[in-house]
Amino acid sequence: MSTVAPPPMTSMRALDSRATAERPSRAYWAGFVVVVAALAVAPLVLPPFWQRFVTEILIWGLLAMSADILIGYTGMVSFGHSAFFGLGLYGAAAALLWAPGPGWLASVWGVTPKLWAAMAAGLVAAALVAVFVAFFSTRLRDIYFAISTLVFSQIFYVIIFTWTDVTGGENGLTFRQPPFEIPGLLAVRFSGDGIHWFVLAVVVTSYLLLRRVTQSPFGMVLQSIRENEPRTRAIGYHVERYKIVAVMLSGLFAGLAGVLYALQNKFAAPDFVLFLISGETVIFTVMGGMGTLVGPVAGAAFFLLMKEVFSRIFYEYYLIPVGLIFTLMVIFVPQGLLGFARRALNR
Amino acid sequence: MANRLTERWHDEPWARNEEFWYSGKTTRRRFIGLTAAAAGALGATTFVPAPWREAFGQAKPFKIGVLQPLTGAAAAGGKTALVGTQLAANRINKSGGINGRPVELVIADYESKPDVGRRKAEKLVVEDKVDVGEGGYLSNVCLACMPVFEEHRTVYMIGVCLDTTITTSKCSRYIFRPFDYAPSQAVAFAPHMVNKIGKKWHIVFLDYAWGQTTRDAFVEQIKKNGGEIAGTTGIPLGTADMTAFISKITGTFDALYAIMFGANAVTFTNQAYDLGLLRKVKYAGDGAVAESTHLTALGQKVEGFTGVNRYIPVMTKPLDTPHHRKFFEEAKVLLKQMDPTGPDPDRYVQSNFEAMNFLKLGIQKSGFKGREDSMKLIQALEGMEVKEGDDFPQGDKLLRKEDHQAFLRQFIFDIHNGKHRLLDVVPREKTVVPPACTFPKA
Repeated sequence: MSTVAPPPMTSMRALDSRATAERPSRAYWAGFVVVVAALAVAPLVLPPFWQRFVTEILIWGLLAMSADILIGYTGMVSFGHSAFFGLGLYGAAAALLWAPGPGWLASVWGVTPKLWAAMAAGLVAAALVAVFVAFFSTRLRDIYFAISTLVFSQIFYVIIFTWTDVTGGENGLTFRQPPFEIPGLLAVRFSGDGIHWFVLAVVVTSYLLLRRVTQSPFGMVLQSIRENEPRTRAIGYHVERYKIVAVMLSGLFAGLAGVLYALQNKFAAPDFVLFLISGETVIFTVMGGMGTLVGPVAGAAFFLLMKEVFSRIFYEYYLIPVGLIFTLMVIFVPQGLLGFARRALNR
Repeated sequence: MANRLTERWHDEPWARNEEFWYSGKTTRRRFIGLTAAAAGALGATTFVPAPWREAFGQAKPFKIGVLQPLTGAAAAGGKTALVGTQLAANRINKSGGINGRPVELVIADYESKPDVGRRKAEKLVVEDKVDVGEGGYLSNVCLACMPVFEEHRTVYMIGVCLDTTITTSKCSRYIFRPFDYAPSQAVAFAPHMVNKIGKKWHIVFLDYAWGQTTRDAFVEQIKKNGGEIAGTTGIPLGTADMTAFISKITGTFDALYAIMFGANAVTFTNQAYDLGLLRKVKYAGDGAVAESTHLTALGQKVEGFTGVNRYIPVMTKPLDTPHHRKFFEEAKVLLKQMDPTGPDPDRYVQSNFEAMNFLKLGIQKSGFKGREDSMKLIQALEGMEVKEGDDFPQGDKLLRKEDHQAFLRQFIFDIHNGKHRLLDVVPREKTVVPPACTFPKA
């Protein structure tokens, strides 16, 4: 019995160099700076409701971006992102409600870094769930993978919904927003603008990190799995391991989106673990453009804005025009809003 | 304006009644009237000093932000609850408003979802700049929205949400609940349950926060009154086929207590009856099981059910008052516009109607002018005692200062010949439980 050794590092570097041969153009970076700058000044020019709305778009955009790692880059459709998002949300909530008060940590740093404790707890919770889901789901492919992620998210939903003593059950958990703090240096309460800028900073950093990941040799292998899984396996890559890491990475960033939602809205509810959130995440990704990272953010913005505007015009029938537009987009713009720029965005 | 932008059901027949709204659809006649009024108002604005403007009928309305689920899983209950709010607003405006200022409802549909509720609450206080909030149907949405009102220092008078923690562990100085809660109901009903229905009980409850806290309250009170608990069964919210859960309710017990509401209550009663369970034991439960809106759907199957409720639509003593009759008849007209079968008003209509009247009295008493006077309004409402009358047809009430929880009389009833029949009235004083709230520091 012969075994196939993984390709040597030189060939991976070759893939890497091929990926980075086309450097992003100045136009790309100019566009990036303009968009980030526009988002940064948004709270200064928008009315408070729309300011909050933009912050929420960024959070849902990060969730969609995380789903894009699986859907757009690895070719695995996940209906389990609500579990990662929800566990991130509940992890942060747990830290904010039950983390040690101004005790031993305060004696070390002078303040209790609740913000960072919440972020760490949310990420750990999402990561643990991601490991669990990844271990079992990645043994399956295509529709079976999608169904298994859906089943796992519903399992977590039922646990959260019925474990009232800990999760608050249907009522969820409400908590106070932690201050922004740098241990030993400062601790200030978040203003409306402040939370927006914090979310923006996290989302932009996440985008740059995920962009780097998708352009790395690891990201190339993920795209190779998407294009032709048997061939990727045949040339020696341990496809399951790559898939597991992809699910974990995706789950981690989905959890981060959950943490940001907790920080902005100060409550956690089981509805966020329900499959409907996963469904909306897939819609954001498809509408925005799969395999582009920024496309899903644009998709989230487009979808949420459409819902908000149409609900003011068509009232309870607003989902009809939303559904029609989505159907038309799938037929006439199957690549999504930014799909046309996919190549340029992945340089 | 904002309410016209927000909700579609303004166009529905029941909402088209011109007298129903302070501001509604524009007809030709109304257009001419409004134009004349606008010309007058413009003149007043231009030529009259600000303090005199009120004298020219330019009183700024009190904006009341109303949160209800008008779409989604809880839409039916939300629409019914809204009738109570609108009935009160209608009466207030007809009688000259509050302190000379009319009331304008800014209604937001939260789609039965907590995240939407949170966003809509934010919209009400930030964009629509409402003076106070009212309404709420689903407890989880109320709990999600409460911090928004607290953060923006706006009083929120809850209309339906029953979860115990709203006025206990999660209480807030800005939040008031002007109707009963599970611990009060249990204290009021348990003696009757144990002494007149049966000693040994099985409790079936909706397995989520409200169901669980209500179960705990009844388990405690049944035992305290010398009864026994044979077992409890939780059924997940929204379960369409409950037969698997019902078939597990076995053993020997005298009576079954159901903690259910809405479609869940209808499903459970239907299926428990069909499986023969309700013919073997006595059937009792939360008044929400046998709301008047359910009676047609339940028919014979709910006959003999005994329940406790803060409101039942009967005209026997002590509810045969002119105030109650007036409320009943006016509410019935509005409900018929919403639902052609013409259901009787239920506790959701009653509690929202009275919630609005608590706000009216609080504003009158405190001289509240806008959100900046929220603390004055809170102080006026804390400890407020009201008497049975046109504004409070259900009966006397106390809005306790320590937790902003109201205490009121409870009605024990059964279903006889397809209608509510009053069996007993538990006075307000016998429903009181100790406060369990520590308000967070501002």
